[in-house]
Amino acid sequence: MRRPQKTCAICESGVRVVDYKDERTLSRFLTERGKILPSRLSGTCARHQRQLSTAIKRARQLALLPYIKGFTG
Amino acid sequence: MTRQYEVVYIFDSALEEAAINERLARFHSLLQQPSAEAPQVNHWGKRTLAYPIKKHETGYYVVAKFDADGAALPEFERAIKLDDGVLRFLVVVNEGAQPVPVTAGKSDEEDDE
Repeated sequence: MRRPQKTCAICESGVRVVDYKDERTLSRFLTERGKILPSRLSGTCARHQRQLSTAIKRARQLALLPYIKGFTG
Repeated sequence: MTRQYEVVYIFDSALEEAAINERLARFHSLLQQPSAEAPQVNHWGKRTLAYPIKKHETGYYVVAKFDADGAALPEFERAIKLDDGVLRFLVVVNEGAQPVPVTAGKSDEEDDE
């Protein structure tokens, strides 16, 4: 029994290159603690998962996304 | 070789607009490309940071796109680092939607947009 293949949400939206400045879209691919969701769970294709991970890491550097959500040091 | 770069600055939100523009002009003058057009500057304005940087909770974001020679970048980055008004910055090669020149005999998967 194989589960049906999830479709890549980024491919479906027609985006070729993931933009690191668009933190609202990127936040859909984070866990509630701010970790990057594995493609196993989000269903993104390999190409977009690679782009996503770079984009999320850049957005974190620019304080657009938190490294850890809900952490108050 | 010139490439298209994109830089995001996070300025101290206490700075005046004029002070920010003066700094931007100073940084961009380091990239001097007589032939190239002026950088496209996009002010996002004041935003809350996702986490505090240098004890600041808010920052003034500016995004600029420019064409420059890679050799000019170290000097440019050094000038930004020395400026206390800049909380953080990021320079990346602009990979956004750009017209990719189609070269004969070489199929490029980026050109089917």
